[in-house]
Amino acid sequence: MTKAQQNYFEIFGLEPNFSIDVPKLSSKLRALLNSVHPDRFASSGSQQQMLSMQKTTQLNDAFAVLKNPVKRAQYLLHLKTGIDTSKEHTVNDPEFLMQQLELREELEDISASSDISQLNQFADKISELEEVQEQQMAELFLQKPLDTDELQKAIYKLQFLHKTLSDIEQAEDKLLS
Amino acid sequence: MALLQISEPGKSTDPHQHRLAAGIDLGTTNSLIATVRSGKAETLADLEGDHILPSIVHYAKDGTVSVGKSAKLFVCSDAKNTISSVKRLMGRGLKDVQKIKEFSANQLTASGTGMPAVETDCGMKNPVEVSSEILKSLVKRAEESLGDELGGVIITVPAYFDEAQRQATKDAAQIAGVKVLRLISEPTAAAVAYGLDTGSEGIHAIYDLGGGTFDISILRLEKGVFEVMATGGDSALGGDDFDRAIAGYLVEQANIDKGDRSAYQMAMIKAREVKEALTNKERVEINFMHWKGSMDRALMESLIASIVDKTLAACRRTLKDAGLKASEVQDIVMVGGSTRVPLVRQKVEEYFGKKPLTDIDPDKVVAIGAAIQADVLIGNKSDEDMLLLDVIPLSLGVETMGGLAEKIIPRNTPIPIARAQEFTTYKDGQTAMAIHVVQGERELVEDCRSLARFELRGIPPMVAGAARIKVTYQVDADGLLKVTAEETITGVKSDITVKPSYGLNDEQITSMLQSSVSHAEEDMKARMLREQQVEAKRVIEAVEAALAENGDELLSKDERHAIEEALKQLAYIAENGDIEAIEEAIKVVDKSTEEFASRRMDASIAKALVGHEIDEI
Repeated sequence: MTKAQQNYFEIFGLEPNFSIDVPKLSSKLRALLNSVHPDRFASSGSQQQMLSMQKTTQLNDAFAVLKNPVKRAQYLLHLKTGIDTSKEHTVNDPEFLMQQLELREELEDISASSDISQLNQFADKISELEEVQEQQMAELFLQKPLDTDELQKAIYKLQFLHKTLSDIEQAEDKLLS
Repeated sequence: MALLQISEPGKSTDPHQHRLAAGIDLGTTNSLIATVRSGKAETLADLEGDHILPSIVHYAKDGTVSVGKSAKLFVCSDAKNTISSVKRLMGRGLKDVQKIKEFSANQLTASGTGMPAVETDCGMKNPVEVSSEILKSLVKRAEESLGDELGGVIITVPAYFDEAQRQATKDAAQIAGVKVLRLISEPTAAAVAYGLDTGSEGIHAIYDLGGGTFDISILRLEKGVFEVMATGGDSALGGDDFDRAIAGYLVEQANIDKGDRSAYQMAMIKAREVKEALTNKERVEINFMHWKGSMDRALMESLIASIVDKTLAACRRTLKDAGLKASEVQDIVMVGGSTRVPLVRQKVEEYFGKKPLTDIDPDKVVAIGAAIQADVLIGNKSDEDMLLLDVIPLSLGVETMGGLAEKIIPRNTPIPIARAQEFTTYKDGQTAMAIHVVQGERELVEDCRSLARFELRGIPPMVAGAARIKVTYQVDADGLLKVTAEETITGVKSDITVKPSYGLNDEQITSMLQSSVSHAEEDMKARMLREQQVEAKRVIEAVEAALAENGDELLSKDERHAIEEALKQLAYIAENGDIEAIEEAIKVVDKSTEEFASRRMDASIAKALVGHEIDEI
């Protein structure tokens, strides 16, 4: 009971790193759930049921954070430095601000033109940018000491790309319906 | 809940013996109960050999309640006192359901609890009471045919059921005196039935068109684990709509006044006959009241095509949620009697590009899957069986400034899950905060479903924005939500737990439970004592089994001794004490095993991690 709370990486027996093999993590989650899920304790005492529910909730929470690159980066930065990037924040990077504006404009133009194939191409482009950003993030997290300014910027960029992708999906929904 | 484990005196609860469990498909139009006997899951028939129980309840003037076929006889002759499709009302407010066509405006009234009620000659009946009659009838059938009482049941609900609807279903079971092992979604149950039979791994779509609900679920089956990837559908769309479309045509042809309720009921029955006949035939002759005519399949299909198309639109949305294309779906499982309609099979096949599965009777498949899972949960099978992982079907959120809904748990998040969000005060010295819990995908609160409202009081006065109110949403394995709120910064802990309210509170449930059991006060007490004794026995057996399994490796001698003493004490009090004393002794055992239970859980996690590493090599 006095044992310190495990962090999300420890729960899965992992070192705290940005690079994660998500499919592997997903099958590890299943193996763990197989032994702690409430269905395994449906005819046990209420105490066991409560514990099983807590553990399962914890595993699901941890997985939800680790599988998502933005949330994983935010969590890892907080774990290592105590810096909280989950709240609104601005980053002073004129070059990226310009790029952001351009990408937003491009999305608006494509949405207005209702061209699905163009929208898909744009989604591919953002996904590529996201991949590059994730690689950069992994490298930044390996640096010693950590460059917290650069990391915060990188998180901000990744977050923007992530958001843009979900906006593209919404635009696609609208076009299809 | 202990109240629900009804046991007759003298019956053994030995955990090593086979315990009876059942799966219940509580449908809008029809309900079924199934169980696993000699390793085979099968639905149970009534004395006349019918497996399907029409979900219809009739309340007679003298207080007699009939369910199923006998109630169906009154649909036309005593429409006012006959309630069908009650599932449509479950967990709904009066306003939500007034547009539902089965219930004429004057049949539904406010029950004073915000819940709709049906005015009958036996008084007002709310949907939860009516559903509990259907459940009671099914359980009675099972216990009579199996010759023993049920240890627990799984009840299936549409995947799309929101919190309030799930809660109402569980409350109905409580009033019926049935112990619920778990609520699972209908498509998941269907997948269990098929998954075990075919053992095929991959992605499956479950297309479930029942009488009153349509569900589409995308499931992944891998290494014996079912995972719901996405669910969608419409809780107010089903085969009844086919009947209604056909009935509308009949009423029009026969020139009958639309307000004539009993004529409309007759048209619905005729419509169903026509629909069923056109499943195998190309044309049928129709005699409806004074009108004589005929209908061919093409005409029927033109009447119902738009309804079938609506289901396909939902399939498209749900596949998109799962990030899949229709061609990636390996199997399509057809569930629900309405999937017998040829046009449905044809359109589904066209959309997915492959023939849907129809091997298991689409009326029975859900109950059969639920029975298989109930057998696992009650402990008749070893731990290596499959595991069902479920997701929340609709996003859960909270109202923020300006009437906007902020999502706290997005839809399709695996459960159980807990999420917390911080809020703050917006006025200086503010000491209370109203929290409005909503469910749905829309941005505006008014477009979402309101689940609960409560106030957090006793916040210490601070400047605006200084207080930190942490609102935590916790969803359990049944998909039921609890919300707690607390002020964290000052250490002043005022927290409150709410469950989605749709009208019934715990007291009302208890009183309905009491009135539903025609026992005197004394009987009630005797029963509660008996239940508490059974509970004590269950606790003792569970702890003894745990001690035998890994007591030696996880406990010191002293720790083990302390637990054993507490068990002895409980065993003695269970024989000689009253309800309160037994309850107290169970708490003592719980306390003494707290650390042990936690170590056991950690040990099994460690084992699973190690096992997994080995698997990978």
